[in-house]
Amino acid sequence: MTNVLEIKKLSKSFGDLKVLDAIDLTVSKGSTVVIIGASGSGKSTLLRCVNFMEIPSAGQIVLQGDLIGSGTGESMSYSDSELAKMRARVGMVFQHFNLFPHMTVKQNVMEGPRTVLKCNTAECERRADRYLEKVGLGWKADAYPSHLSGGQQQRVAIARALAMEPEVMLFDEATSALDPELVGEVLQTMKELADDGMTMLIVTHELGFAYTVADRVLFLSEGKILEQGDPEAVLINPKQEATKNFLRGHGSFRLPEPNLD
Amino acid sequence: MEYNWDFGAVWTYRGLLWTGLQNTIILAVVCLVLGLFFGLFVGAARYSTRPILNYPATAFVELFRNTPVLIQIMWFFFAFPIISPFQVDAFTAATLGLVLNTTAFSSEIFRAGIQSIAKGQWEAAKALGMTYMQQMKRVILPQAIRRMVPAFMNRAVELVKMTSLASVIAYGELMHQAKSIAAISFNPIEMYTAVAIFYFLLIFPFAILVRRLEIKFQPGS
Ligand SMILES: Nc1ncnc2c1ncn2[C@@H]1O[C@H](COP(=O)(O)OP(=O)(O)OP(=O)(O)O)[C@@H](O)[C@H]1O
Ligand SMILES: [Mg+2]
Repeated sequence: MTNVLEIKKLSKSFGDLKVLDAIDLTVSKGSTVVIIGASGSGKSTLLRCVNFMEIPSAGQIVLQGDLIGSGTGESMSYSDSELAKMRARVGMVFQHFNLFPHMTVKQNVMEGPRTVLKCNTAECERRADRYLEKVGLGWKADAYPSHLSGGQQQRVAIARALAMEPEVMLFDEATSALDPELVGEVLQTMKELADDGMTMLIVTHELGFAYTVADRVLFLSEGKILEQGDPEAVLINPKQEATKNFLRGHGSFRLPEPNLD
Repeated sequence: MEYNWDFGAVWTYRGLLWTGLQNTIILAVVCLVLGLFFGLFVGAARYSTRPILNYPATAFVELFRNTPVLIQIMWFFFAFPIISPFQVDAFTAATLGLVLNTTAFSSEIFRAGIQSIAKGQWEAAKALGMTYMQQMKRVILPQAIRRMVPAFMNRAVELVKMTSLASVIAYGELMHQAKSIAAISFNPIEMYTAVAIFYFLLIFPFAILVRRLEIKFQPGS
Protein backbone atom coordinates (compact mmCIF):
# COMPACT_ATOMS: atom_id res chain seq x y z
CA MET A 1 0.00 0.00 0.00
CA THR A 2 1.23 3.48 -0.80
CA ASN A 3 1.74 6.04 1.91
CA VAL A 4 -0.26 9.22 1.49
CA LEU A 5 1.36 10.91 4.42
CA GLU A 6 4.70 10.42 6.12
CA ILE A 7 5.55 12.38 9.24
CA LYS A 8 9.19 12.09 10.21
CA LYS A 9 10.68 13.17 13.52
CA LEU A 10 8.14 15.96 13.83
CA SER A 11 8.74 18.30 16.77
CA LYS A 12 6.99 21.49 17.73
CA SER A 13 7.70 23.90 20.55
CA PHE A 14 5.92 27.07 21.57
CA GLY A 15 8.68 29.03 23.23
CA ASP A 16 10.02 26.77 25.97
CA LEU A 17 7.04 24.45 25.83
CA LYS A 18 7.79 21.32 23.85
CA VAL A 19 4.41 20.14 22.57
CA LEU A 20 5.45 17.50 20.02
CA ASP A 21 8.55 15.39 20.47
CA ALA A 22 9.93 13.64 17.39
CA ILE A 23 6.67 12.10 16.16
CA ASP A 24 6.93 9.45 13.45
CA LEU A 25 3.76 8.46 11.67
CA THR A 26 2.80 7.11 8.29
CA VAL A 27 -0.74 7.04 6.96
CA SER A 28 -1.39 4.68 4.08
CA LYS A 29 -3.88 5.33 1.31
CA GLY A 30 -7.48 4.80 2.32
CA SER A 31 -6.74 4.23 5.99
CA THR A 32 -8.35 5.94 8.95
CA VAL A 33 -6.04 6.88 11.80
CA VAL A 34 -7.60 8.15 15.03
CA ILE A 35 -5.58 10.13 17.55
CA ILE A 36 -6.70 10.16 21.17
CA GLY A 37 -5.13 11.67 24.24
CA ALA A 38 -5.71 13.96 27.18
CA SER A 39 -6.33 17.67 26.81
CA GLY A 40 -3.06 19.47 26.11
CA SER A 41 -1.26 16.35 24.90
CA GLY A 42 -0.65 17.95 21.50
CA LYS A 43 -3.33 16.35 19.30
CA SER A 44 -4.43 19.58 17.65
CA THR A 45 -0.87 20.71 17.23
CA LEU A 46 0.00 17.47 15.46
CA LEU A 47 -2.86 17.89 12.99
CA ARG A 48 -2.08 21.55 12.48
CA CYS A 49 1.54 20.78 11.72
CA VAL A 50 0.50 18.30 9.03
CA ASN A 51 -0.95 21.07 6.86
CA PHE A 52 1.34 23.77 8.22
CA MET A 53 -1.27 25.77 10.04
CA GLU A 54 1.58 25.63 12.56
CA ILE A 55 5.12 25.51 11.24
CA PRO A 56 6.96 22.52 12.71
CA SER A 57 10.07 23.30 14.75
CA ALA A 58 11.83 20.27 13.31
CA GLY A 59 11.06 17.22 11.22
CA GLN A 60 9.61 16.54 7.81
CA ILE A 61 6.21 16.12 6.24
CA VAL A 62 6.00 14.06 3.04
CA LEU A 63 2.74 14.17 1.10
CA GLN A 64 2.37 11.47 -1.59
CA GLY A 65 6.13 11.26 -1.88
CA ASP A 66 6.63 15.05 -2.06
CA LEU A 67 8.81 16.42 0.71
CA ILE A 68 7.35 19.76 1.77
CA GLY A 69 9.90 22.54 2.16
CA SER A 70 13.61 22.34 1.64
CA GLY A 71 16.50 21.62 3.97
CA THR A 72 17.35 18.90 6.44
CA GLY A 73 14.97 17.74 9.12
CA GLU A 74 16.52 20.02 11.73
CA SER A 75 16.16 23.23 9.76
CA MET A 76 13.54 23.23 7.07
CA SER A 77 12.49 26.34 5.21
CA TYR A 78 9.17 26.87 3.49
CA SER A 79 7.88 29.39 0.99
CA ASP A 80 4.40 30.82 1.43
CA SER A 81 3.31 29.77 -2.03
CA GLU A 82 4.54 26.21 -1.50
CA LEU A 83 2.61 25.96 1.76
CA ALA A 84 -0.55 27.35 0.16
CA LYS A 85 -0.29 24.73 -2.62
CA MET A 86 0.29 22.03 -0.04
CA ARG A 87 -2.72 23.04 2.06
CA ALA A 88 -4.92 22.84 -1.02
CA ARG A 89 -4.12 19.12 -1.15
CA VAL A 90 -5.14 18.54 2.48
CA GLY A 91 -8.68 18.98 3.77
CA MET A 92 -9.22 20.26 7.28
CA VAL A 93 -12.37 20.24 9.40
CA PHE A 94 -12.44 22.38 12.53
CA GLN A 95 -14.18 22.03 15.84
CA HIS A 96 -16.10 25.26 15.25
CA PHE A 97 -16.91 24.67 11.55
CA ASN A 98 -15.69 28.13 10.49
CA LEU A 99 -18.04 28.39 7.55
CA PHE A 100 -17.96 31.71 5.70
CA PRO A 101 -21.07 33.49 6.98
CA HIS A 102 -21.32 35.91 4.06
CA MET A 103 -21.68 33.09 1.54
CA THR A 104 -24.46 30.61 0.97
CA VAL A 105 -23.86 26.93 1.63
CA LYS A 106 -23.16 26.33 -2.04
CA GLN A 107 -20.84 29.32 -2.34
CA ASN A 108 -18.95 28.05 0.70
CA VAL A 109 -18.33 24.77 -1.04
CA MET A 110 -17.46 26.40 -4.37
CA GLU A 111 -15.05 28.88 -2.82
CA GLY A 112 -11.98 26.63 -2.65
CA PRO A 113 -12.26 25.23 -6.18
CA ARG A 114 -12.96 28.70 -7.54
CA THR A 115 -10.37 30.82 -5.74
CA VAL A 116 -7.62 28.29 -5.12
CA LEU A 117 -7.94 25.74 -7.92
CA LYS A 118 -9.24 28.29 -10.47
CA CYS A 119 -11.90 25.85 -11.70
CA ASN A 120 -14.45 27.24 -14.14
CA THR A 121 -17.96 27.88 -12.91
CA ALA A 122 -19.40 24.67 -14.34
CA GLU A 123 -16.76 22.60 -12.57
CA CYS A 124 -17.21 24.50 -9.30
CA GLU A 125 -20.95 23.90 -9.46
CA ARG A 126 -20.49 20.25 -10.30
CA ARG A 127 -18.27 19.77 -7.27
CA ALA A 128 -20.54 21.75 -4.96
CA ASP A 129 -23.60 19.74 -6.03
CA ARG A 130 -21.75 16.47 -5.77
CA TYR A 131 -20.26 16.98 -2.31
CA LEU A 132 -23.31 18.65 -0.82
CA GLU A 133 -25.28 15.65 -2.03
CA LYS A 134 -22.71 13.42 -0.42
CA VAL A 135 -23.20 14.99 3.01
CA GLY A 136 -26.95 15.01 2.45
CA LEU A 137 -27.38 18.77 2.24
CA GLY A 138 -28.09 19.43 -1.42
CA TRP A 139 -31.44 20.82 -0.36
CA LYS A 140 -29.75 23.52 1.74
CA ALA A 141 -27.54 24.82 -1.08
CA ASP A 142 -29.03 28.32 -1.07
CA ALA A 143 -29.29 28.76 2.70
CA TYR A 144 -26.85 30.82 4.72
CA PRO A 145 -24.82 29.00 7.39
CA SER A 146 -26.51 30.90 10.23
CA HIS A 147 -29.78 29.22 9.28
CA LEU A 148 -28.34 25.73 9.72
CA SER A 149 -28.03 23.56 12.80
CA GLY A 150 -24.55 22.89 14.13
CA GLY A 151 -24.56 19.39 12.70
CA GLN A 152 -25.58 20.67 9.28
CA GLN A 153 -22.92 23.38 9.41
CA GLN A 154 -20.26 20.81 10.17
CA ARG A 155 -21.41 18.65 7.27
CA VAL A 156 -21.18 21.66 4.97
CA ALA A 157 -17.67 22.25 6.29
CA ILE A 158 -16.85 18.66 5.39
CA ALA A 159 -18.29 19.19 1.90
CA ARG A 160 -16.23 22.38 1.57
CA ALA A 161 -13.07 20.43 2.33
CA LEU A 162 -14.06 17.53 0.05
CA ALA A 163 -14.69 19.89 -2.87
CA MET A 164 -10.93 20.42 -3.04
CA GLU A 165 -10.68 16.66 -3.68
CA PRO A 166 -7.94 16.40 -1.09
CA GLU A 167 -5.46 13.57 -0.74
CA VAL A 168 -6.02 13.36 3.00
CA MET A 169 -8.59 14.79 5.40
CA LEU A 170 -7.85 16.08 8.90
CA PHE A 171 -10.59 16.30 11.53
CA ASP A 172 -9.88 18.16 14.77
CA GLU A 173 -12.63 17.28 17.26
CA ALA A 174 -15.26 17.78 14.59
CA THR A 175 -18.10 16.93 16.96
CA SER A 176 -16.93 18.51 20.23
CA ALA A 177 -18.85 21.75 19.74
CA LEU A 178 -22.12 20.00 18.87
CA ASP A 179 -25.16 19.33 20.99
CA PRO A 180 -25.23 15.62 21.80
CA GLU A 181 -28.17 14.89 19.53
CA LEU A 182 -26.29 16.33 16.52
CA VAL A 183 -23.08 14.36 16.99
CA GLY A 184 -24.41 11.22 15.29
CA GLU A 185 -25.11 12.75 11.88
CA VAL A 186 -21.57 14.14 11.63
CA LEU A 187 -19.95 10.90 12.77
CA GLN A 188 -22.11 9.06 10.26
CA THR A 189 -20.87 11.34 7.47
CA MET A 190 -17.28 10.73 8.56
CA LYS A 191 -17.85 6.99 8.65
CA GLU A 192 -19.21 7.05 5.12
CA LEU A 193 -16.09 8.86 3.98
CA ALA A 194 -13.94 6.23 5.62
CA ASP A 195 -15.98 3.49 3.93
CA ASP A 196 -15.47 5.27 0.58
CA GLY A 197 -11.74 4.92 1.05
CA MET A 198 -10.85 8.49 2.01
CA THR A 199 -7.54 8.77 3.84
CA MET A 200 -8.28 10.36 7.20
CA LEU A 201 -6.45 11.56 10.28
CA ILE A 202 -8.96 12.16 13.05
CA VAL A 203 -8.70 13.66 16.53
CA THR A 204 -11.74 12.75 18.58
CA HIS A 205 -13.02 12.01 22.05
CA GLU A 206 -15.71 9.71 20.61
CA LEU A 207 -14.12 6.41 21.53
CA GLY A 208 -17.02 4.36 20.22
CA PHE A 209 -16.57 5.99 16.85
CA ALA A 210 -12.83 5.39 17.02
CA TYR A 211 -13.43 1.74 17.80
CA THR A 212 -15.80 1.29 14.87
CA VAL A 213 -14.07 3.32 12.20
CA ALA A 214 -10.35 3.42 12.92
CA ASP A 215 -7.83 1.18 11.21
CA ARG A 216 -5.30 2.38 13.71
CA VAL A 217 -5.54 4.27 16.99
CA LEU A 218 -2.72 6.37 18.45
CA PHE A 219 -2.57 7.41 22.06
CA LEU A 220 -0.70 10.68 22.38
CA SER A 221 0.80 11.68 25.70
CA GLU A 222 3.11 14.60 26.40
CA GLY A 223 3.95 15.05 22.76
CA LYS A 224 4.83 11.42 22.08
CA ILE A 225 2.94 8.49 20.63
CA LEU A 226 2.80 6.34 23.73
CA GLU A 227 0.83 3.49 22.30
CA GLN A 228 -0.62 2.54 18.92
CA GLY A 229 -2.27 -0.34 17.18
CA ASP A 230 -5.63 -1.51 15.95
CA PRO A 231 -8.68 -0.32 17.95
CA GLU A 232 -8.91 -3.60 19.81
CA ALA A 233 -5.33 -3.37 21.02
CA VAL A 234 -5.38 0.26 22.15
CA LEU A 235 -8.96 0.80 23.28
CA ILE A 236 -9.75 -2.62 24.74
CA ASN A 237 -6.42 -4.07 25.77
CA PRO A 238 -4.14 -1.09 26.42
CA LYS A 239 -0.67 -1.89 27.73
CA GLN A 240 0.52 1.48 29.01
CA GLU A 241 -0.61 2.76 32.38
CA ALA A 242 -1.30 6.25 30.96
CA THR A 243 -3.57 4.81 28.28
CA LYS A 244 -5.45 2.78 30.87
CA ASN A 245 -5.94 5.88 33.04
CA PHE A 246 -7.18 7.87 30.07
CA LEU A 247 -9.66 5.16 29.12
CA ARG A 248 -10.79 4.80 32.72
CA GLY A 249 -11.62 8.50 32.75
CA HIS A 250 -13.65 8.11 29.59
CA GLY A 251 -15.39 4.94 30.64
CA SER A 252 -16.65 5.93 34.06
CA PHE A 253 -20.09 6.89 32.92
CA ARG A 254 -20.60 4.48 30.04
CA LEU A 255 -24.03 2.93 29.79
CA PRO A 256 -24.48 -0.75 29.11
CA GLU A 257 -25.41 -1.45 25.47
CA PRO A 258 -29.06 -0.46 25.03
CA ASN A 259 -31.51 -3.22 24.24
CA LEU A 260 -33.20 -2.03 21.07
CA ASP A 261 -35.27 -5.06 20.15
CA MET B 1 -35.22 93.29 21.10
CA GLU B 2 -36.61 94.03 17.70
CA TYR B 3 -34.76 92.58 14.72
CA ASN B 4 -35.93 92.70 11.13
CA TRP B 5 -34.89 89.46 9.50
CA ASP B 6 -33.99 89.97 5.86
CA PHE B 7 -32.96 86.96 3.81
CA GLY B 8 -32.94 88.94 0.55
CA ALA B 9 -29.15 88.65 0.20
CA VAL B 10 -29.37 84.85 0.18
CA TRP B 11 -31.33 85.07 -3.06
CA THR B 12 -29.26 87.94 -4.46
CA TYR B 13 -26.02 86.03 -3.94
CA ARG B 14 -27.39 82.59 -4.78
CA GLY B 15 -24.71 82.16 -7.44
CA LEU B 16 -21.93 82.57 -4.88
CA LEU B 17 -23.65 80.24 -2.44
CA TRP B 18 -24.19 77.65 -5.15
CA THR B 19 -20.47 77.76 -5.96
CA GLY B 20 -19.74 77.38 -2.26
CA LEU B 21 -22.01 74.37 -1.97
CA GLN B 22 -20.33 72.75 -4.97
CA ASN B 23 -16.88 73.40 -3.54
CA THR B 24 -17.94 71.95 -0.20
CA ILE B 25 -19.14 68.78 -1.90
CA ILE B 26 -16.04 68.52 -4.10
CA LEU B 27 -13.72 68.94 -1.14
CA ALA B 28 -15.66 66.40 0.94
CA VAL B 29 -15.82 63.79 -1.82
CA VAL B 30 -12.15 64.13 -2.79
CA CYS B 31 -11.05 63.89 0.84
CA LEU B 32 -13.34 60.97 1.56
CA VAL B 33 -12.17 58.93 -1.43
CA LEU B 34 -8.49 59.61 -0.82
CA GLY B 35 -8.83 59.22 2.94
CA LEU B 36 -10.51 55.81 2.63
CA PHE B 37 -8.00 54.67 0.02
CA PHE B 38 -4.94 55.58 2.09
CA GLY B 39 -6.73 54.47 5.24
CA LEU B 40 -6.89 50.90 3.94
CA PHE B 41 -3.11 50.77 3.61
CA VAL B 42 -2.36 52.52 6.88
CA GLY B 43 -4.89 50.24 8.56
CA ALA B 44 -3.18 47.18 7.08
CA ALA B 45 0.17 48.51 8.31
CA ARG B 46 -1.32 49.08 11.76
CA TYR B 47 -2.66 45.54 11.71
CA SER B 48 0.74 44.14 10.79
CA THR B 49 2.97 42.80 13.52
CA ARG B 50 6.10 43.89 11.67
CA PRO B 51 7.59 46.93 13.46
CA ILE B 52 8.80 48.47 10.21
CA LEU B 53 5.18 48.81 9.10
CA ASN B 54 3.46 49.08 12.43
CA TYR B 55 5.49 51.82 14.15
CA PRO B 56 5.34 54.51 11.45
CA ALA B 57 1.65 53.79 10.87
CA THR B 58 0.90 54.07 14.58
CA ALA B 59 2.86 57.31 14.85
CA PHE B 60 0.98 58.73 11.87
CA VAL B 61 -2.41 57.78 13.24
CA GLU B 62 -1.72 59.16 16.70
CA LEU B 63 -0.32 62.42 15.32
CA PHE B 64 -3.31 63.16 13.12
CA ARG B 65 -5.98 61.92 15.49
CA ASN B 66 -4.67 63.98 18.35
CA THR B 67 -4.26 67.38 16.75
CA PRO B 68 -7.10 69.66 15.65
CA VAL B 69 -7.90 69.55 11.94
CA LEU B 70 -8.04 73.34 11.96
CA ILE B 71 -4.37 73.47 12.94
CA GLN B 72 -3.49 70.86 10.31
CA ILE B 73 -5.15 72.87 7.55
CA MET B 74 -3.52 76.12 8.65
CA TRP B 75 -0.17 74.41 9.03
CA PHE B 76 -0.28 73.07 5.46
CA PHE B 77 -1.29 76.49 4.16
CA PHE B 78 1.16 78.67 6.07
CA ALA B 79 4.04 76.53 7.34
CA PHE B 80 4.36 73.76 4.76
CA PRO B 81 5.28 76.10 1.84
CA ILE B 82 8.12 77.55 3.92
CA ILE B 83 9.79 74.21 4.66
CA SER B 84 9.09 72.64 1.26
CA PRO B 85 9.63 73.70 -2.36
CA PHE B 86 5.90 73.43 -3.08
CA GLN B 87 3.40 76.20 -3.61
CA VAL B 88 0.26 75.25 -1.73
CA ASP B 89 -3.06 76.80 -2.67
CA ALA B 90 -6.05 76.82 -0.37
CA PHE B 91 -7.67 73.76 -1.92
CA THR B 92 -4.47 71.71 -1.64
CA ALA B 93 -3.84 72.75 1.95
CA ALA B 94 -7.41 71.94 2.95
CA THR B 95 -7.24 68.63 1.09
CA LEU B 96 -3.96 67.66 2.77
CA GLY B 97 -5.28 68.41 6.24
CA LEU B 98 -8.60 66.68 5.73
CA VAL B 99 -7.23 63.67 3.83
CA LEU B 100 -4.58 62.96 6.45
CA ASN B 101 -7.14 63.30 9.21
CA THR B 102 -9.61 61.04 7.39
CA THR B 103 -6.83 58.55 6.63
CA ALA B 104 -5.95 58.36 10.31
CA PHE B 105 -9.53 57.79 11.41
CA SER B 106 -10.50 55.41 8.62
CA SER B 107 -7.36 53.33 9.12
CA GLU B 108 -8.57 52.72 12.65
CA ILE B 109 -11.96 51.68 11.32
CA PHE B 110 -10.30 49.25 8.89
CA ARG B 111 -8.04 47.84 11.56
CA ALA B 112 -10.81 47.39 14.11
CA GLY B 113 -13.07 45.91 11.42
CA ILE B 114 -10.47 43.37 10.36
CA GLN B 115 -9.64 42.53 13.95
CA SER B 116 -13.30 41.91 14.69
CA ILE B 117 -13.36 38.91 12.33
CA ALA B 118 -12.94 35.62 14.17
CA LYS B 119 -9.60 33.86 13.86
CA GLY B 120 -11.38 30.76 12.57
CA GLN B 121 -12.24 32.61 9.36
CA TRP B 122 -8.58 33.18 8.57
CA GLU B 123 -7.86 29.57 9.45
CA ALA B 124 -10.58 28.12 7.26
CA ALA B 125 -9.49 30.24 4.31
CA LYS B 126 -5.84 29.36 4.87
CA ALA B 127 -6.60 25.65 5.20
CA LEU B 128 -8.29 25.72 1.79
CA GLY B 129 -4.96 26.83 0.35
CA MET B 130 -5.66 30.53 -0.05
CA THR B 131 -2.77 32.97 -0.08
CA TYR B 132 -2.81 35.84 2.41
CA MET B 133 -4.20 38.21 -0.23
CA GLN B 134 -6.94 35.75 -1.18
CA GLN B 135 -7.88 35.26 2.48
CA MET B 136 -8.14 39.01 2.85
CA LYS B 137 -10.04 39.63 -0.37
CA ARG B 138 -12.45 36.70 -0.41
CA VAL B 139 -13.12 36.05 3.26
CA ILE B 140 -12.02 38.80 5.63
CA LEU B 141 -12.73 42.10 3.88
CA PRO B 142 -16.21 41.20 2.60
CA GLN B 143 -17.26 40.52 6.19
CA ALA B 144 -15.27 43.32 7.77
CA ILE B 145 -16.43 46.03 5.36
CA ARG B 146 -20.06 45.29 6.17
CA ARG B 147 -19.32 46.01 9.80
CA MET B 148 -17.37 49.13 8.85
CA VAL B 149 -20.04 50.78 6.70
CA PRO B 150 -21.84 52.65 9.49
CA ALA B 151 -18.54 53.91 10.92
CA PHE B 152 -17.43 55.13 7.50
CA MET B 153 -20.71 56.92 6.95
CA ASN B 154 -20.25 58.66 10.28
CA ARG B 155 -16.80 59.71 9.14
CA ALA B 156 -18.30 61.09 5.94
CA VAL B 157 -20.76 63.18 7.96
CA GLU B 158 -17.94 64.49 10.12
CA LEU B 159 -15.92 65.25 7.02
CA VAL B 160 -18.66 67.37 5.43
CA LYS B 161 -18.81 69.41 8.63
CA MET B 162 -15.03 69.74 8.80
CA THR B 163 -14.84 71.19 5.28
CA SER B 164 -16.15 74.44 6.78
CA LEU B 165 -12.75 74.80 8.46
CA ALA B 166 -11.25 75.45 5.04
CA SER B 167 -12.89 78.90 5.22
CA VAL B 168 -10.04 80.07 7.48
CA ILE B 169 -7.63 79.85 4.57
CA ALA B 170 -10.16 81.39 2.18
CA TYR B 171 -11.04 78.29 0.18
CA GLY B 172 -14.35 79.14 -1.49
CA GLU B 173 -16.57 76.55 0.13
CA LEU B 174 -19.99 77.26 1.59
CA MET B 175 -18.81 78.78 4.87
CA HIS B 176 -16.30 81.06 3.21
CA GLN B 177 -18.87 82.27 0.67
CA ALA B 178 -21.28 83.04 3.49
CA LYS B 179 -18.61 84.98 5.34
CA SER B 180 -17.80 87.02 2.21
CA ILE B 181 -21.44 87.78 1.49
CA ALA B 182 -22.05 88.75 5.11
CA ALA B 183 -19.14 91.20 4.90
CA ILE B 184 -20.45 93.00 1.84
CA SER B 185 -24.15 92.97 2.68
CA PHE B 186 -23.83 93.46 6.46
CA ASN B 187 -26.16 90.62 7.38
CA PRO B 188 -24.10 87.94 9.19
CA ILE B 189 -27.09 86.76 11.20
CA GLU B 190 -29.15 85.81 8.14
CA MET B 191 -26.17 84.43 6.19
CA TYR B 192 -24.99 82.13 8.96
CA THR B 193 -28.54 81.03 9.64
CA ALA B 194 -28.96 80.23 5.96
CA VAL B 195 -25.74 78.20 5.65
CA ALA B 196 -26.55 76.33 8.86
CA ILE B 197 -29.76 75.23 7.15
CA PHE B 198 -27.86 74.33 3.97
CA TYR B 199 -25.42 72.15 5.92
CA PHE B 200 -28.29 70.52 7.71
CA LEU B 201 -30.13 69.76 4.47
CA LEU B 202 -26.94 68.32 3.04
CA ILE B 203 -26.10 66.12 6.02
CA PHE B 204 -29.41 65.11 7.54
CA PRO B 205 -30.54 62.65 4.83
CA PHE B 206 -27.13 61.06 5.07
CA ALA B 207 -27.44 60.73 8.85
CA ILE B 208 -30.79 58.98 8.42
CA LEU B 209 -29.16 56.58 6.00
CA VAL B 210 -26.42 55.86 8.55
CA ARG B 211 -29.03 55.09 11.17
CA ARG B 212 -30.76 52.68 8.79
CA LEU B 213 -27.52 50.93 7.91
CA GLU B 214 -26.51 50.63 11.54
CA ILE B 215 -29.67 48.69 12.16
CA LYS B 216 -29.24 46.63 9.02
CA PHE B 217 -25.60 45.73 9.64
CA GLN B 218 -25.92 44.93 13.29
CA PRO B 219 -23.85 41.82 14.04
CA GLY B 220 -25.91 38.68 13.65
CA SER B 221 -28.44 40.06 11.21
N1 LIG C 1 -0.29 28.85 19.48
C1 LIG C 1 0.13 28.38 20.67
N2 LIG C 1 0.97 29.10 21.44
C2 LIG C 1 1.38 28.64 22.64
N3 LIG C 1 1.04 27.45 23.15
C3 LIG C 1 0.22 26.68 22.44
C4 LIG C 1 -0.29 27.09 21.16
N4 LIG C 1 -1.08 26.12 20.68
C5 LIG C 1 -1.09 25.14 21.60
N5 LIG C 1 -0.30 25.45 22.67
C6 LIG C 1 -0.06 24.61 23.83
O1 LIG C 1 0.39 23.36 23.38
C7 LIG C 1 -0.15 22.32 24.18
C8 LIG C 1 -0.86 21.32 23.32
O2 LIG C 1 -1.98 21.94 22.75
P1 LIG C 1 -2.97 21.20 21.77
O3 LIG C 1 -4.02 22.19 21.39
O4 LIG C 1 -2.21 20.57 20.66
O5 LIG C 1 -3.58 20.08 22.70
P2 LIG C 1 -4.76 19.09 22.42
O6 LIG C 1 -4.24 17.72 22.65
O7 LIG C 1 -5.39 19.38 21.11
O8 LIG C 1 -5.78 19.46 23.59
P3 LIG C 1 -7.38 19.55 23.58
O9 LIG C 1 -7.89 18.14 23.77
O10 LIG C 1 -7.68 20.39 24.77
O11 LIG C 1 -7.81 20.15 22.30
C9 LIG C 1 -1.03 22.99 25.21
O12 LIG C 1 -0.30 23.10 26.41
C10 LIG C 1 -1.31 24.34 24.63
O13 LIG C 1 -1.49 25.29 25.64
MG1 LIG D 1 -7.23 20.17 20.46
